[in-house]
Amino acid sequence: MRLRAGARARERLFGGALLALACLSVLTTAGVVAVLVFEATTFFSDPLVSLREFFTGRQWTPLFADQRFGILPLLTGTMMVTGIALVVGVPLGLMSAVYLSEFATARRRRRVTFVLELLAGVPTVVLGYFALLFVTPLLQRFVPGLDLFNPLSAGLVMGFMILPTVSSISTDAMQAVPVALRQAAYGMGATQVQLIWRVVLPASLSGIVASVILAFSRAVGETMIVTLAAGQRPLFTLDPRETIATMTSFIVQAASGDQPAGSLAARSLYAVAATLFAITLALNLVSQIVVRRFRERYE
Amino acid sequence: MLDVGGRQARRRRRTVRTVEAAVAMPVLLALLLLGALLFDVITDTLSWQVLAPAGSGRSFAFAEGFAPFGSWDRVMRLELAARGVPAEDIEPLLADPEERRVLEARNRVELMPWVDGRPFRWLVTTVSDELVADRPLWSGLASRRELLAAAEPGQVVVLNAWLDPAFVLRNASRSPLVAGLLPAFVGSLLLVGLVILLAVPIGVGTAVYLEEYASDTRLARLIELNLSNLAGVPSVVYGILGLTVFVRLMRLGPVVLAGALTLTLLVVPVVVVAAREAIRSVPPSLRQAAYGLGATRSQVVLRVVLPNAVAGITTGVVLAIARTIGETAPLLVLGAAAFVPRPPDGLLSTFTAIPIQIYSWVSENDVEFTHAASAAIVVLLAVLAVLYGIAYYLRRRFASR
Repeated sequence: MRLRAGARARERLFGGALLALACLSVLTTAGVVAVLVFEATTFFSDPLVSLREFFTGRQWTPLFADQRFGILPLLTGTMMVTGIALVVGVPLGLMSAVYLSEFATARRRRRVTFVLELLAGVPTVVLGYFALLFVTPLLQRFVPGLDLFNPLSAGLVMGFMILPTVSSISTDAMQAVPVALRQAAYGMGATQVQLIWRVVLPASLSGIVASVILAFSRAVGETMIVTLAAGQRPLFTLDPRETIATMTSFIVQAASGDQPAGSLAARSLYAVAATLFAITLALNLVSQIVVRRFRERYE
Repeated sequence: MLDVGGRQARRRRRTVRTVEAAVAMPVLLALLLLGALLFDVITDTLSWQVLAPAGSGRSFAFAEGFAPFGSWDRVMRLELAARGVPAEDIEPLLADPEERRVLEARNRVELMPWVDGRPFRWLVTTVSDELVADRPLWSGLASRRELLAAAEPGQVVVLNAWLDPAFVLRNASRSPLVAGLLPAFVGSLLLVGLVILLAVPIGVGTAVYLEEYASDTRLARLIELNLSNLAGVPSVVYGILGLTVFVRLMRLGPVVLAGALTLTLLVVPVVVVAAREAIRSVPPSLRQAAYGLGATRSQVVLRVVLPNAVAGITTGVVLAIARTIGETAPLLVLGAAAFVPRPPDGLLSTFTAIPIQIYSWVSENDVEFTHAASAAIVVLLAVLAVLYGIAYYLRRRFASR
């Protein structure tokens, strides 16, 4: 294409400007990694901190006078809440997906998707409010020994928060099962239930697994529900009735506190954030690999 | 052998129906949860209270105090008179801006649905009022006669409506009775404005670059990989990035600008996804026609592609706004949770936002602040409902094209 010199320069400038804007995302990722790596290494190079104690220690007390830096309490807290959330959210999400892709009429599907999108659109601070002020008092009537802040209520509500994620990705996966496969099953005399259980679910398994991993990742990174309802007291326990702290609730606690900026206590925030980032990054990568690896088998 | 119409077939049909009912259950549970949430929040904005007022303790009839746009003044005059302020001092008190500001900060004029057995009275509550009892809506409804009977002389029994029109116009306060949402509301508005200003050019520019300029290059794939990874990063981590880079490194401090920059980074992937979809749906024939007429690539983008993709891009922008308004964690980490009594007066002032305000009110272990939090949640949900409604409408119009 022949352009005048001035126009050619302007075109290149425009393209360059767009490129610069586009590279911002790369810059953001680089920024996140750089900040976390730098601050975390500074944290670990402090003489009071040992890597081994960080990963195996059962006491996390950076904000107290006697500072201990074992991250296991935060990990168990996070895993408890996430575990409960998955136990609630994955089955419910899968059932919704099966309903949406196998049973619902087009009109019903639109309405149900609308309800699920509503659920997905509720801000997490409102869900945290609900967990603390409605679910916990309700559960305290049935569960003896339930603390005011506990991972059970937070996990239950978080389960409903991840339900739409599991449902929408699984629905897409199920609807992508080739019609030929379904018709072959019907042709061999399968009932609808047999079709779902033996054909659709196995065929869409990669998508379902990806949705579960993604939901896991979202649950691990979720902050407000746990900060409001699960507590900010690091405790190494597997009892869902006791107040605990998660990685995210500690980050909020440390950031809103009055720690002087360069202190070890403030830096511990970055170590926890780096761990959190590593976990969610690993989960996201695994989910992408699962989709890519298993999808080939059925096509 | 297939038994088409007999017992086996009936059993199979029943199984299918049971399975269908079973898998439809989660949706009903979700509806129930949403319903319970809404119901709980709305009823929590009304509470029965027994107050020991520090003001005059008198309530005024609706007709006495009502004036279109001037009710506050009218009721305040009645209240000051009832407190014993001499008649000639009342007008100068209300006219002096300094005195007036103090009055507005300390007193709350409100049309209570019920005061001491009489409906719809004006009452002026103050920060120094003592709360004797606070009952939720339903249990208080049942025991309101007992509350009235048990009230000592001088005490007032009211049905307090925490979400009144003035709630959004009042400043925050250490006393829940007069606490309002204004600083948070203005803060959220400022954030939204800035985020749109920043995220739309960046997001649309990135989308245009990926779709029109570099569709299959390695750079494009790197950018796409980055975007999809960023979408999976927890929002707290964005807050940490913002805290380190904007608040500390760039020495901005925990101000509106830092919050807006952080939220922009969070929200750009949302805009990019919507913009790409919109750009992709512009028919190639339009582009070819423009190129055929001799247009340069930038002209095609600016005059053909973007104008045709506006509906989809706007949907993305509306979703980004909804995300900005609802995000709490990054702002908390940045340092927006401190008590902020007044709306921010510029880009470099400390700020708060609606979800932050909700969080700090819920964190105060005070039943009255919980009512204020519920009122704020109702405001937040109303704003989000409008935004999602707009996005829904835009998506339908965009799809039918």
